[in-house]
Amino acid sequence: MHDLIQKLTALPWDQSPQWLFLIPAGLMLLAAAAAVALRNLIHSALCLTLSFIALGVLFIALGAEFVGFVQLLVYVGAVAMLIIFAILLTPASEVSASNNPFRSFKLSRAVNAVAGGAVVALVLAGLFTAIFFSPRVRAAVPSPNAAAPVALIGENLLTHTLLPLQGTAILLTAALIGAALLAKEEKES
Amino acid sequence: MNLENLPLAILKAILDAFTWCGAKAGIVVPPWALTLVSILIVIVAILSVFLVMFALMSVLERKILGRMQNRYGPNRVGPWGLFQPVADGIKMLTKEDLVPRSADQIVHFLAPIAMVIPALMLPAILPYGRGMVPVELASGILYFFALGAGTEVAVFMAGWSSNNKYSILGAMRAIAQMISYELPLVMSAVIAALVAGTLSPNGIVMAQAGVSFGVVPNWFVFTPWGFAACILFYIGALAESNRSPFDLPEGESELVAGHLTEYSGFKYAIFFMAEYIGMFAINGLLVTLFLGGYQAPFPFLEWIPSWCWFFAKLAFVAFSMVWVRATMPRFRIDQMMQFAWKFMLPMSFVALIAAAAWHYAGRGLAAWGISFLIVAVPYLLLGRFCFTRRHTVDNRRYLFSE
Amino acid sequence: MMLQILLAISAVLFGTGLLAALTRSNAILVLIGIEMMLGAGNLNFIAFWKFSAHPETLTGVMFAIFSIALAAAEAAVGLAIIIQVHRRLRSVNVNDADQLKG
Repeated sequence: MHDLIQKLTALPWDQSPQWLFLIPAGLMLLAAAAAVALRNLIHSALCLTLSFIALGVLFIALGAEFVGFVQLLVYVGAVAMLIIFAILLTPASEVSASNNPFRSFKLSRAVNAVAGGAVVALVLAGLFTAIFFSPRVRAAVPSPNAAAPVALIGENLLTHTLLPLQGTAILLTAALIGAALLAKEEKES
Repeated sequence: MNLENLPLAILKAILDAFTWCGAKAGIVVPPWALTLVSILIVIVAILSVFLVMFALMSVLERKILGRMQNRYGPNRVGPWGLFQPVADGIKMLTKEDLVPRSADQIVHFLAPIAMVIPALMLPAILPYGRGMVPVELASGILYFFALGAGTEVAVFMAGWSSNNKYSILGAMRAIAQMISYELPLVMSAVIAALVAGTLSPNGIVMAQAGVSFGVVPNWFVFTPWGFAACILFYIGALAESNRSPFDLPEGESELVAGHLTEYSGFKYAIFFMAEYIGMFAINGLLVTLFLGGYQAPFPFLEWIPSWCWFFAKLAFVAFSMVWVRATMPRFRIDQMMQFAWKFMLPMSFVALIAAAAWHYAGRGLAAWGISFLIVAVPYLLLGRFCFTRRHTVDNRRYLFSE
Repeated sequence: MMLQILLAISAVLFGTGLLAALTRSNAILVLIGIEMMLGAGNLNFIAFWKFSAHPETLTGVMFAIFSIALAAAEAAVGLAIIIQVHRRLRSVNVNDADQLKG
């Protein structure tokens, strides 16, 4: 009877419909657009956090659960908090909240936005051409056994990618020391 | 009927009844509907168990605190005061929901929701009994800490949106405390996962089966590195749930109520509930990682069902947290940060090395001795050199004496 | 078909990040845009891993893990620099950091 209950309460990851991953993907894109467009910096950071959470859920839906949880742990728990703390520590950057969440119209900003939009449109055009007209991409099929078990990731980390692991360790130590030094207040003696 | 399989038998009975009703109505129930119903039943079961525990805990904590302080706790409302949660619930639900006009309305509204959703998702991976894990995740421990990270964002949202100096200060302190204590917490969990060889909570419980040396159960807490890691995890759990002695963010004499200052009524009740359910979940994880989960200590005690053992151990850990609250005074913020970064983090690395040494020395009596030395010597040195330096004061200024 | 949809989603996320990095004048928003672009890259890695011929070599997953760690390190250093610049110039507008101009 135990395996019957196990079978009934096991989550049907592999039988979930294909379009299920579009929900976190759509939420992610909406939150990212809001993060770019909003005027209040903290709202923008919170929308970015929501976008990261949706991206983590998308990773889990695609079968890379470890990467999804690491994304949630690192991006939401660390990077988003860092961004929020930096916003709070640089108070001149906070725009006073008014009723209008979007900014007032100024010609220089409009020209800026149009130029930026043109560059982004060019980049997107190139990317979409590559995506939708490439024969290899069109012929790709999902692998039926694309699983990333944690034990295998750990084994890979310590055998195939040992050098990047040690390099990342050194990099993170250097970044930790560097960021702490850079952000330190100089005492006026 | 086997008492051990009682919850699973109830679940199967409900599913059978569902199928029978479907057959009576003339429709064949498809398997996805059965899966959906079983998932819903498991969710309802977990939520009801944890909410009942939360209600009981809120009154038992006050009674136990009262008894430890030589007074009665609440004893008016029901027999021995046990209906106090009902009275508390009615009070909280009927209080006016005040939101300051200059507060950020959307973020202020979403903060309690953002706090309670991770807290309610936490108990999903704990193994409550043999074969009774709601969600069998291979990286369950990582899921747990990823949700803890979500709680930090909710605390910030609560503090910042209230547009109140006490709130933002309380929120900053709470986030600093949670981030600082998350590191030793995760390292202690990693130590248990390292020795068990898996990140799945069920796997870690199964790795603590049996008895070694004939008398000592194989629970990780009975090994030197496991004892150190358990203490570190326990202190980290106290800090993550903002419980005394780490309740500086919400101490009344410090910051009014910290990040919860501008919350009243139902939203405060939701924060309160999220904090307690988070505490139960992390206690459940401590029981799973170090206290052997649902396993009985000795084989002759196996007749008590496994889920009884789990909840008994959980109750013991929760009682000990109330005991600590009654006993110890509150930490100051700089003492708290020093303790986390200068003592707990190095000790967690020392425990990691001790665990590795225990494993590679063969897990026998010699390994026990070696790992005990590896844990005890740095502990004594750290304790002696970090926190007992004498500060020499040259001219003491006495302000109020002549 | 599904791979194309996934790649299109990541391309749109990349474009959004690029827009944020190019058009907003606040240094922290530029950094938010950079983080979005890195996230889009991670999504590409995972998408190509899922549709690869040999997913058991886990190349995409390992690359994504390292990319997440690197993005965290880069965000930390970038924000430390922004905080230090704010101390000197009292502003985080990227147009105000023009002392080396000309």
